[in-house]
Amino acid sequence: MSAALIAGRATLAVVHRDAQIFLSYRTRVLSQLANAIFTLTLFHFLAQLVHVDTFDSPRAYFAFVTVGVVILQVLSSCFGTPALVRQELVAGTFEKLVVSPFGALRGIVALTLFPFLYSLLLGSATIALATLLFGLQIDWALAPLCLPLAALSVLAFLPFGLLFAALTLVVKQSAVGTTWVIALLSLVGGLYFPVSLLPAWIRWVSEVQPFSTAVGLMRHLLVDSPLHASPWVGVAKLAAFALLLMPIAIATVSAAIRVGRRRGTILEY
Amino acid sequence: MTETALGAAAGAAAVQSPAADELELWPALELCGVRKRWPKAKEPVLAGIELELAPGAVAWIAGSNGAGKTTLLRIVAGLLAPDGGTVRLDGMAPDRERAAYQRAIGLISAGDRGLHARLTVRQDLGYWAGLAMLGRAAGRAAVERAIEAFDLGGLAGHRVDRLSMGQRQRVRIAMAFMHEPRLLLLDEPTTSLDEEGRACLHAAVAERVAAGCAVLWCSPTGERPGVPLDAQYALVGGRLAAA
Repeated sequence: MSAALIAGRATLAVVHRDAQIFLSYRTRVLSQLANAIFTLTLFHFLAQLVHVDTFDSPRAYFAFVTVGVVILQVLSSCFGTPALVRQELVAGTFEKLVVSPFGALRGIVALTLFPFLYSLLLGSATIALATLLFGLQIDWALAPLCLPLAALSVLAFLPFGLLFAALTLVVKQSAVGTTWVIALLSLVGGLYFPVSLLPAWIRWVSEVQPFSTAVGLMRHLLVDSPLHASPWVGVAKLAAFALLLMPIAIATVSAAIRVGRRRGTILEY
Repeated sequence: MTETALGAAAGAAAVQSPAADELELWPALELCGVRKRWPKAKEPVLAGIELELAPGAVAWIAGSNGAGKTTLLRIVAGLLAPDGGTVRLDGMAPDRERAAYQRAIGLISAGDRGLHARLTVRQDLGYWAGLAMLGRAAGRAAVERAIEAFDLGGLAGHRVDRLSMGQRQRVRIAMAFMHEPRLLLLDEPTTSLDEEGRACLHAAVAERVAAGCAVLWCSPTGERPGVPLDAQYALVGGRLAAA
């Protein structure tokens, strides 16, 4: 059996474990679906207040913000990695990753997979609920393209989560940092309102991170929002973020593990 | 070859395991000048550890609380990096041949952590089989062997957070053995175990030793392992002394 296949199975073991733990809390799925319904209901009624030039109708704003909410779920799953690493440290299960042939580095990357897959499911459910309960109009012909786009988006988002995971290994705390970043991106990333409404001096922030690009492309595919440039420009931008940042993030996590082993803090929490 | 290694190899022969005759004469584990000092500590916790352990040999390292036994085992396990010195297992270094090195190590760390409270015993063992990269069929077989060897059959479907401390310790021990390591690192492994649990542990150690696995057993001074020993050391002042 090839080494890659065995490593793939080890990765699946981590995903399988995370799914087993998640499903051991039987009401968690229901409560998160209920959250999605509450959020959609809130924005459905808030959308009735929206009468601005940017949107043709309240329905257009509801479509806009629903996709933003879905992207926020994917974004939060990527930024959840530091909390997962901390949970492993506290439970003493991180030690098992370090002493296993699979290793801590691959283990940390594998930790990101279940939250991402679950965010895709939850995002799909959110879209389905918005369609069924609030009449969201979806462009079904292009909707399947959202899956590869989501995968590419995660590759672009994930380095940020991995960098915070590295920080967790070294200083043991990074929850506040991830919360701030998610809050900041919610404001300037175009998730709840168009970037064009921001003051001119802060708009540049939407250009230097992949989240605004991802949400723009996702809206284009799902609800036919117009793009300012070719979709391929956005795809290239996401790919560039992934190619540039992923090696940096992996090298940083690797360095954090080395530092932790040398300073003896790798098992502290 | 040093006296220690010869003694250990001779000791392994005394166990009279079938595989003992086939043991190679070079050490399975070789520690040379291993040093470790914690930040802000005046004295090093390990001040030049020298140790050779032959395949199939069992060595006991005794020491008072805080003597550095756990630190030593963590360095050998690849969890911590030493400040100086070298660690070799069958010629492999933990940094250079990491995956192969870790595949050869079985570690029971001190304490009761490292299990997933929400998983069942079988799920937890299955997870470790995956991390140990055993492959699907070999992993399943290893889980079943571990359940049988540590008498976990009645508990296999129980969630870990519903087990007693002794039962959890059996699961932790089973994990260390299930990928058939060539070096077992046991840090106070009998913690919380009843007589039956100790018997399972001793039988499993004997079986691995018979297959040529070396064992490094650490426990506080006075708490002797209940298995035949080939070498005994005391860890005092950061150094190993024959006891």
